Amino acid sequence: MEDRLLIQANKLSYKINDNKLFSNFSLSLSAGQAIHIKGSNGSGKSTLLRILGGITEPSKGFVDKKPNINLSYLGHKNALKTYLTVRDNLILLNLKGKREINNLLDLFGLNDRLDIVTGNLSFGQQKKLALIRIFINKSDLILLDEPFVGLDSETQEILSNFLNKKVSEGVGLIFTSHIAANIQANTVSISS
Amino acid sequence: MLREIINTVIKKFIHQFASPKTYFLQVKRLYPWVFYISIAIYVVAITWGLLFTPKDFVQGNSYRIIYFHVPASFIAQSLYAAMAFSSAVYLIWKVKLAAYLSRSIAPVGATVTLIALISGSIWGIPTWGTWWEWDARITSTLILFIMYLGLISLHNSFNNFEKADKLFSYLAIIGFIQIPIIKKSVDWWSSLHQPASITISDKPSIDPVMLYPLFLSIIGFSGLVACLVILSSKVQIYKREKNKNWIKDYV
Amino acid sequence: MRILTTFKQETLKLLKKTRAWLGPILVFVLIMIAYPLTVELSSQNLSDAFYPVLFISCLLVMMLATEGIFLEDFEDGSLEQLVITGNSLYQSIIIKIFIYWLFIGIPISILGSLFNVGSGNTMDSSLMLLPPLMITTYIFLILFCFGNALSLTKGSVLGTLITMPLLLPILVILGKLTTAILFNINYFGFLILLFGILSIIIFIFPAIISKIIKTHLE
Repeated sequence: MEDRLLIQANKLSYKINDNKLFSNFSLSLSAGQAIHIKGSNGSGKSTLLRILGGITEPSKGFVDKKPNINLSYLGHKNALKTYLTVRDNLILLNLKGKREINNLLDLFGLNDRLDIVTGNLSFGQQKKLALIRIFINKSDLILLDEPFVGLDSETQEILSNFLNKKVSEGVGLIFTSHIAANIQANTVSISS
Repeated sequence: MLREIINTVIKKFIHQFASPKTYFLQVKRLYPWVFYISIAIYVVAITWGLLFTPKDFVQGNSYRIIYFHVPASFIAQSLYAAMAFSSAVYLIWKVKLAAYLSRSIAPVGATVTLIALISGSIWGIPTWGTWWEWDARITSTLILFIMYLGLISLHNSFNNFEKADKLFSYLAIIGFIQIPIIKKSVDWWSSLHQPASITISDKPSIDPVMLYPLFLSIIGFSGLVACLVILSSKVQIYKREKNKNWIKDYV
Repeated sequence: MRILTTFKQETLKLLKKTRAWLGPILVFVLIMIAYPLTVELSSQNLSDAFYPVLFISCLLVMMLATEGIFLEDFEDGSLEQLVITGNSLYQSIIIKIFIYWLFIGIPISILGSLFNVGSGNTMDSSLMLLPPLMITTYIFLILFCFGNALSLTKGSVLGTLITMPLLLPILVILGKLTTAILFNINYFGFLILLFGILSIIIFIFPAIISKIIKTHLE
């Protein structure tokens, strides 16, 4: 079972200018598990995800990841180029896996928008596009920061089902959300 | 493996002896000594230099500004080196104190460089007949001054101190590598300044009678600058560690 | 494969933003047109001061070209995506700078040599001017990228303030090069010197820049 372990966080602490966000936070996740991180505004959920993703360095503690792990991450920023078309945005990230792209586009209902300039899409559609873009890549661990914000209830349902399916296929999932999500996940809360 | 061991040993050493608290206490004890001794030395040097040395054959009495100008221009560069060294220590071993120190050296360095520039141009009026000349050493001192200011404005632009420290350190180190290149290139471009008065390898081109007070003045001036750095670093520590318990006892 | 993809991505991104590559080139042309207008036509001395003007305008235009070079990718989250998915930031920075040079540096070098003829200098001197201009624009680009990376979210004034001192040695070399071109002395020596500088910084600075950008991402 040990080799199914994807990521392990040991006694993480984080502070900015000596203001502590959280301290002594530990977690571990194996393949096929999901974790829902809860906490109040400003408790450092986003920072925690960025630490797990390896962008931000924790003030104390460390993160162990399975070697050569494939990560997908979506934070508050969509990483979309608003002046390019939807097609360009999808292909810009990845030139492989065209078939998967079409399935995802069908799933999220963006298949007729391929040639529209991304800046002309609505906020919700851009969010969907950003999600599709990170799902194109084959990944072992998905990190999502408030993935349901800006999506209508129908799409939230689609996304939850999609994520549940991914988890059952053996992908690890860590996400934050203050919107009640229909995802089978263990809940972990952080506090300072 | 060996490197790891050495690293942990160094880390342990640093974190025990280079904590802001230890520094703060030690400096508090040392400060008066440094201050009074260096001010005494500097006063002796100045009195000696101004009253008991002969006039220069060519420059008359105006050369006496060297007891001010030479230490300043000498220290302006040494301070940059110290700052770059301290920045490197911060980047390699993540010693917070080193970051505080390099940040607190910057304004002192800028001030000393400005003193060197102003005293130099005052000296220029009787000697060259102009207060500004596009000569190599003046130009590179001016560039040094701008580099100090650039570093300070870079650090002040960021609210997250840790980020500011890191960016500051990168720039300080790159600048340190660049300084000799800038100096050489500007030298190459033009030089009508008199060559440096004291060099380590050659015999000094200055009369020993003037040399001894000059050396003393460099020592005294360095001490006073060190006092400024200490004061400035205290300000930095207050600013950064104001939430720590220990500091509340000393404010 | 990955390099080719990054190459395509960066080219597409730059080309779609016309103002980012055409803008600096046009500004350069405007400066080149403005220069003769500031000189009294009867004195017919255009060629004398042309080189300093040319070099300074190259510098200014490269400053304009690199303005916000990393800002867009930083603000829209592309850079954090890049880092988190385990792609090499270093590599993509090298490629990005190269593409900027390809689309801005090279046109400016060619235009600069053409305007050199227009200012009354010989065709030979223009041909001699082209290679050092191409190298210099690349060096300027790299160094301004360094400054802009440091001041990433704080505007280009701070970046320029930081970078300019580092550029001065290059300007000194260019000043000497002018004489070398005019009198045809030691021209290749200077060319090799510039090329040597470029070959040192071309791989070192992107590494520093990627460190700096990672600091910003934290």
